[in-house]
Amino acid sequence: MFYHNFKYSLKILLKNKMLIFWTFAFPIILGSLFKMAFSDIENNEKLDTIDIAIIQTEEFNNNQIYKKTYEELSNKNNKNKLFNIYYIKEKNNLESKKKANQLLEQDKIVGYLFLENKKEIIVKTSGINQTVFKYVTEEIIQTEKIITNLIKEGMSSNSTDQTINQLYEKIYDKVLSINENNTILKDTTNTNLSYTMIEFYTLIAMTCLYGGILAMTSINNNLANMSSKGKRIFISPTKKYKTIISSVLASYIVQLIGLFILFIYTVVVLKVDYGNNFPLIILLALIGSLAGLSLGVFTSCVFKNSENTKTGIIISLTMLGCFLSGMMGITMKYVIDKNVPIINKLNPANMITDGFYSLYYYDTLDRYYFNIISLIIFAMILIVISTFSLRRQKYDSI
Amino acid sequence: MKNVIEVKNLTKKYKELKAIDDLSFEVYEGEILGLLGPNGSGKSTTINCLLSLLNFNKGTIKIFGKTMKPSSYDIKEKIGVVFQDIAVFEELNVIDNINYFCGLYIKDKDTRKKYVLDAINLVGLENYKKFYPKQLSGGLLRRLNIACGIAHKPKLIFLDEPTVAVDPQSRNNILEGIKKLRDEGSTIVYTTHYMEEVEIICDRVIIIDKGSIIASGTTDEVKHLASIEEKVTVEVVDLENKYLEEIKNLKHVDEVKYDNNILFITYKKGKNNLIDLIDYLKINKINYTKIFSERPTLNDVFLELTGKELRD
Repeated sequence: MFYHNFKYSLKILLKNKMLIFWTFAFPIILGSLFKMAFSDIENNEKLDTIDIAIIQTEEFNNNQIYKKTYEELSNKNNKNKLFNIYYIKEKNNLESKKKANQLLEQDKIVGYLFLENKKEIIVKTSGINQTVFKYVTEEIIQTEKIITNLIKEGMSSNSTDQTINQLYEKIYDKVLSINENNTILKDTTNTNLSYTMIEFYTLIAMTCLYGGILAMTSINNNLANMSSKGKRIFISPTKKYKTIISSVLASYIVQLIGLFILFIYTVVVLKVDYGNNFPLIILLALIGSLAGLSLGVFTSCVFKNSENTKTGIIISLTMLGCFLSGMMGITMKYVIDKNVPIINKLNPANMITDGFYSLYYYDTLDRYYFNIISLIIFAMILIVISTFSLRRQKYDSI
Repeated sequence: MKNVIEVKNLTKKYKELKAIDDLSFEVYEGEILGLLGPNGSGKSTTINCLLSLLNFNKGTIKIFGKTMKPSSYDIKEKIGVVFQDIAVFEELNVIDNINYFCGLYIKDKDTRKKYVLDAINLVGLENYKKFYPKQLSGGLLRRLNIACGIAHKPKLIFLDEPTVAVDPQSRNNILEGIKKLRDEGSTIVYTTHYMEEVEIICDRVIIIDKGSIIASGTTDEVKHLASIEEKVTVEVVDLENKYLEEIKNLKHVDEVKYDNNILFITYKKGKNNLIDLIDYLKINKINYTKIFSERPTLNDVFLELTGKELRD
């Protein structure tokens, strides 16, 4: 009986055009739209190389930190090249400044650096390029200060070869620790870092949760108070738990088929990068789908509304969850995480999104497993409540 | 006669409203029992209580000698139900629908295959095996609904208004199929508000109104509860009033109505009423185009007992 019901539940679900649209086609359509919409935005928002000028004062020429850093940032072989630099050296600094101002007036540069007794960054207007120039220069100034202080500290004692070596080690450690601790300086050059990734992660979350519609439909077909087919199944000698479990299992399989197709589509056609840890990606998809399934089971068993209303409930909850976890813009996820973190801690869409996000961006798996465990707890709570609700055998009215 | 169903003092309330009020009856093996009553009289609620689908406030229900409970799987094995609402899957074709529901009862594939084909033949869907429900007419869909409920060859069948909104051809087909099921040994509980159907197929009738039994017995026994004996209908053009008055005074005449050139006469008793009326029309040279006589129907009984029509 279990296999018989499972087989037919599978057939019924796969032939239901409305369900297949929402769980198979809709995420693919939405994913394609994301790709079209956001890839253009992202391309437009890529930083162009910024034209700046540096007046070659004596101080600049003697300061290796500045000199080397700007050389590197304007090196044409550096794929992260940030600046095109005009080096200006006239008869004196005043003439050089005049020349720089001229370039600034002609909009050939966004600003220039003048390094003498004090450090001056001169820009004409405000804007993203000006801010980047200013920000990078200030970072260099900060780093220079740290290194200079360490050197002064080291030189104040009686310098020996040993103390000088120790000093170098100290400077090396300090600079290294800046790079390790400061996320701004984290190396991301080996990844295709893209904020649109989050859109695709929420898309996967949406597909996992939409799978709940499949489970809800399957269970509704078995409930005497929800459909005439349910009455017919109820009065058959097949035990309720057998029909329910086999139907739910069938809906889970269909859900996974849909998710698999979406994964293939996003990887092959949309070129989405989920990272390299495939077993953990699959585990997250399986658990995420389980959460979606539990949402469907819960909606089906606890709410006494019509099937259309229940579908509406699942779609609304899913879309709201996805919105809060960044589907319509990563800012929302950031705002919720920062201001009302409890919402995203309870939001299954965010648990799935954040799971993928953490797999992609973090070297450790703590955050990933936190999300996995949260999803399991979420699913278990809903299934337990649903089971108690389902145990009732007779109805007061149907 | 052996009882298949035994209901005692069944009462079901929806808040203050009594949907079933102290109902007691029995269904005997091999009979077709008609559960007759207008819409909202409590027929479907009674069936749902019998099937343990609904909680009830008072009373006992025994089927095949055992108390019926939701977990009475041994009893459920022998029951088939055709609900008033169509209960088939839109996504499955005719043969798959029947096979699915039959599979909830019959494990063996070969036996099930044979049973499914038997059911298809019984309801006359041989030419529609691969059709999907949306491709079937209302009548054919009703037939599929019946096939899904009886394919496993149950010993006890509940048919809850299976012919609602069905064309005459499908109705005849369905009624013939039900008689065939009874002939093959099934006991049938048939609820309807179409008294003509009950008169055609039922061995016994229970008439329900407002959750209570108001009459029961064979159709002839129930008809005897009516005070009228005969109804005569005559199609006659422009009948003068003086004749109407004279007809009213004929022997055994209870009531006379003349409307749209149709004359209705009801007789309380008497045996040769039609002959006497024809003689009267001949003597008075009243031309008529059609004349026929009827026994009182179950609807007449219901009308007399409750003051309303069965289809109200």
